[in-house]
Amino acid sequence: MIDLSGKYILITGASSGLGRAISQKAAAQGATIVLIARNETKGIETIKLLKGSNHILYTEDIANCLVIEKIIKSLIEKKIKISGFVHSAGIEKTLPLKSSTTAVFHEVFNINVFAGFEFARLLSQKNIVDHSGASFILISSVRGKLGVPFNTVYCASKSALIAGSKAIAMELASKNIRCNCVLPGITETEMIQEFFKSIPPESKENIINEHPLGLGKPEYIASLVTFLLSDDAKWITGADYIIDGGYSIH
Amino acid sequence: MKKNEFIKQLAEFCEFSKTDFSIETKLVSIDGYDSMATMSIIVFIEENLNVKLTAMQINGLSDFGSLIELIGSEKFDHD
Repeated sequence: MIDLSGKYILITGASSGLGRAISQKAAAQGATIVLIARNETKGIETIKLLKGSNHILYTEDIANCLVIEKIIKSLIEKKIKISGFVHSAGIEKTLPLKSSTTAVFHEVFNINVFAGFEFARLLSQKNIVDHSGASFILISSVRGKLGVPFNTVYCASKSALIAGSKAIAMELASKNIRCNCVLPGITETEMIQEFFKSIPPESKENIINEHPLGLGKPEYIASLVTFLLSDDAKWITGADYIIDGGYSIH
Repeated sequence: MKKNEFIKQLAEFCEFSKTDFSIETKLVSIDGYDSMATMSIIVFIEENLNVKLTAMQINGLSDFGSLIELIGSEKFDHD
C-alpha cells in the first residue's frame, strides 16, 4: 500500500485531466497537495474532491515563468518542504508543420517545457525540498517518442522533458532528488476530447483501435505517478515509463 | 477575402495538385483530398477567417459551396 503521509506534493495542471486524477490519488494516499491551476473555479472544485485538508491552491498561469518564483517564495514563507513535484500542465496544438511557427513553439514550450524545468530548477534549491529528498515527475507523452503527423510542436515538447529529466536525475542524485518521466498514451481527458474533435472520425477510430487495451483513464496514470512519488520507488531515477495500453508496441 | 480567392488559397495551402476549383467542385473528387487535407482545411480556416470547424463538420460537406456556407457568407468579401 503506497503511503504518502506527511509529504507535500506540488502538482501543476492540477485542476483537470491527469493533474486532477494525480492530486486525488496522492491525497487519498495521505499527501498534502499544493495545486497549481490556471482556473480558480476548477482549482476550488478539485480541492473539494481531495481527501484530507490543508491542501493549498495557487491560481496562476505558469506560461509566465516569473510567477513560479512567486509560488516558491510563498511556500518558503509558509515553511513548507516539498517531497514531490509533478509537472502535469500542458497544452496541445494539432497543426501542420507549415503552421508551426516559432510563436506556436514558444506558446507550447512555455507551458509544456520551460515551466516544468523552472519549477525543477527552483525546487532543487536546498531550502525548499524535504531533507530526506524528493521525487520529481515530468508528465511527457508516448508522443514524445513517436512521430505523429500534425504534432511536431507537441512531440518536440514532450521529448524535451524525457531528455531533460535524465540530466536532472544525474545532477540531483547526490541531493537524493529523483527525477523520472511518465509517458501516457491517449487517456480520456478534456484535452483529448478537444484533440479528437480536430481530427476526422476515421482517424479517431484508428487511434482507438491501435490501443490493444483501449484508451486509458487518468486514474491509471495516477497510480504509476504516486508509486514513483513514494519511497517504494526510492531506487528509480532517470527512467521514462510508457503507460499506453500497448499503443506504442506496434 | 473573396470566395474564389479563398478556394484558390485553400487549395494551395492543402497542396492539392490543382488550384483552379470552383464553388461547385466536389471535395471527394479532388486528388489529395484525404484526412490530412481535412486537418489542413480546419487550420487554414481558423488562421485566415477565425472560424473553428471540426473534422466531423467538414466530412459531411459535398463541395466548396457547402464549405463556404458552413463558414458563413458574411466572412467573405462580395464578388
